Amino acid sequence: MPIPIRVEQLRRRFGAFTAVDDLSFDVSAAEIVGLIGPNGAGKTTTLRSLAGILRPTSGQVLIDGHDIVSDPIEAKRRLAFMPDEPHLFEYLTVDEHLRLTARLYSVNDFDNRAKALLEELELTGKQRSLPGELSRGMRQKVVIACGLIRDASVLLFDEPLTGLDPIGIRRMRATIIARARAGAAVLVSSHLLHLVEEICSRVIIMDRGRKIADGTFAELAMRADLAAADSNLEQIFMHVTGHDDETPHV
Amino acid sequence: MLIASLYIIVCSAKNRIRSRLRRLREPRYLVGAVAAVVYFYLTIFVRMRSPGGGRSRRTRQPPPEISLAALRAAGPSLVGLGLFVMMVLGWLFPGKSGLLEFTESEVQFLFPAPVTRRSLIIHRLLRSQLGLLFAAIVPALVFPSGSPASRAKFAVSMWIILVTMRVHFTGITLARASLLLRDADGRRRQWIAPAVIAGAVAVVATTIVRAFVLHPATDVGDFLNRFGEVVMSGAPRVILWPFVALARPLFAAWPGPFLSALALAIAVLALNVVWVLRSDDALQEITAQIEAQRDVPAVRSRVAPRTLAAGWTLSLHGRPELLFMWKSAMEMVRGVNAVSLLRWGGAAVGISVSLTSALLSATHSRGSAAALGLLALAIAGFATLLGPQIARNDLREDLLHLELLKTWPVRASALIRGEMLGPAAVLTGCAWLALLCALPLSAAAFTTRSLPMRVSVALALAILAPAIIVAQLTVHNAAAIVFPGWVPLGTQRPRGLDAMGQRLILFGGVIIALWIMLAPPAVAAGLVWFAFQGLLGPAVLVPAALVGTVLVGVEVLLATEALGPMYERIDLSAVERAD
Repeated sequence: MPIPIRVEQLRRRFGAFTAVDDLSFDVSAAEIVGLIGPNGAGKTTTLRSLAGILRPTSGQVLIDGHDIVSDPIEAKRRLAFMPDEPHLFEYLTVDEHLRLTARLYSVNDFDNRAKALLEELELTGKQRSLPGELSRGMRQKVVIACGLIRDASVLLFDEPLTGLDPIGIRRMRATIIARARAGAAVLVSSHLLHLVEEICSRVIIMDRGRKIADGTFAELAMRADLAAADSNLEQIFMHVTGHDDETPHV
Repeated sequence: MLIASLYIIVCSAKNRIRSRLRRLREPRYLVGAVAAVVYFYLTIFVRMRSPGGGRSRRTRQPPPEISLAALRAAGPSLVGLGLFVMMVLGWLFPGKSGLLEFTESEVQFLFPAPVTRRSLIIHRLLRSQLGLLFAAIVPALVFPSGSPASRAKFAVSMWIILVTMRVHFTGITLARASLLLRDADGRRRQWIAPAVIAGAVAVVATTIVRAFVLHPATDVGDFLNRFGEVVMSGAPRVILWPFVALARPLFAAWPGPFLSALALAIAVLALNVVWVLRSDDALQEITAQIEAQRDVPAVRSRVAPRTLAAGWTLSLHGRPELLFMWKSAMEMVRGVNAVSLLRWGGAAVGISVSLTSALLSATHSRGSAAALGLLALAIAGFATLLGPQIARNDLREDLLHLELLKTWPVRASALIRGEMLGPAAVLTGCAWLALLCALPLSAAAFTTRSLPMRVSVALALAILAPAIIVAQLTVHNAAAIVFPGWVPLGTQRPRGLDAMGQRLILFGGVIIALWIMLAPPAVAAGLVWFAFQGLLGPAVLVPAALVGTVLVGVEVLLATEALGPMYERIDLSAVERAD
């Protein structure tokens, strides 16, 4: 049984700038891993490289054992990427977006799945709406619905809660956990540390394109240099990224 | 606020120039800039510096002096009448003024700031000046004139006209919106201004028509002389005065007449500015409407689509190419409306009518049947030869969605073919329909040709049309894949000298690639024609066209397979940078 997500020495450069450097990690089935880091750390570039949007400059990305560069069709068939910025076709309705996705990924039992998903994401009644008629949060939900309408074994979330209302946030959290319990490997990039702490079993911290920490909260807290962080993700994050002397002033 | 506006304008201009200079470090932009500079040098400066400047053509073929003198005399009236017509159209078909299209950053920074609405309008007015100055200077450089002073005079006059019209259209937008805002009677009262305008149109039109219908002009000189007299007397003189005053500096002699004419034109501009500043109460309403239209991603400056049932539900199974065809059909059904139809339909009709005139003249045909037949033929030609430039709902538009497309588990070559399928089907349909109309009418237009010949030609054209269309689409899409940073994607229009040069190079490259692609099928078709002409007579055109089309099909298949790996390698940043 191949590991759902395997990243080996991934490097991605933009001209002279290295956005991701020598990044390696695995995500197992039924595992939710948080990808955190300051702005410009390389999180989105990593996720885009995993999704096949950006071609790695070097290194390897394997999705269920399929190389995203040499065997892109099989790799992409197994993954669902939900970006922070909802990219939708402005002339297709919500229902048509789902149908299009279902055709691309050969989804069986489309009608029942679509109905359930629309209810789950509170999109019922919006089936015939075009993206231009939806709020940003609704558009984000459509993107999530397109990602979830198929049984992807790998789920990549880039800031999944952006634009969602409190009810949407709660449901999204539950959805991510449910998908992981069903066996999906989930990689979540977010600045919301409490979300990561709540749903993730493991966390990868990136800074300036490199991985600077990787482990469960307990493992990170037990690391000698992080002992003072007291197993609180925010404190661990601040300590690892060299900002632990910054205390908030109220 | 004035200082802040100037600060924004100066800093934006400085940074824009800096970023454009910086991108010249990339070879593709540097090559583009060099091409544009060479083009400008050859088309403008060499002509200006050649003996006699821009007058060389005039010395070769001098126009009749009387026409020039008459044109100069009637010029202000003619241009004034043109400006009047534009104003009338502005009232009758109201759009949103470009001056009020605040950028998102302007809305976020300036609207919550403690500044008046008038200051915001002045800011936009100031900000538009660089573009308007450029628009005035370029024709002045091209203007056939020997002296730099007359070029400067032309540029200043044009600039005043452009600024005034821009301000006036802003005033129209604001005035209409403020009438609606004031009270419940606004909707009724908004018709007062168009009614006054309609009255003015009636007076001017009646006077002109009466003058020329009763006593038709004998020649151009007579027309110009009498036109000036008609427009500059009686009621039309009063109605058209501000428009003629705006146009007069263009034709006035330097220095005295020009300066006095310029003073009057500036007075008209000032009146318009005052009117706009006094109609500022509807500014936020208008801006909110423009913002709402802009809220749809990637549809900026295009009409927002509407939900329409297209009668085609996507099947959940089948070839991926058909999926893209369905997507393209949805875009076409929902994206096309009266405005876009008017825009492209107008161009199609204009070019087709010109082609028809040329064909009528070449075939010495007369009569409505001949004219209609040739018009249908011209439309088929337009759809086949120019359609692929206009119907851009393929990769040229969809590269904007590259981030999404790249995540799809679809073979790149199938994706490329699928993207071309939609526009190809529509354009082929248009061409076939036009040919179907042209065939029964061809007897009137081509009287010397036999029926078998005409039928054979029509069939051959119908077979060749999809091949020519798909070949062009392949070249355009190949250009988008190989040079994603050079192709204007969607509604983008990259600016700058380097971008202009890139477009020139790309245009030349597309033409050359198309010739290379069509040459082997043309040779093969020619061989078939040569070999079987004696045996089949005019009907040989059909198998010849078939052979050519099949060969183009094979070439397209090979080309899309070859483009697949290139598509996989497209760097997202290359596409985003083109924005």
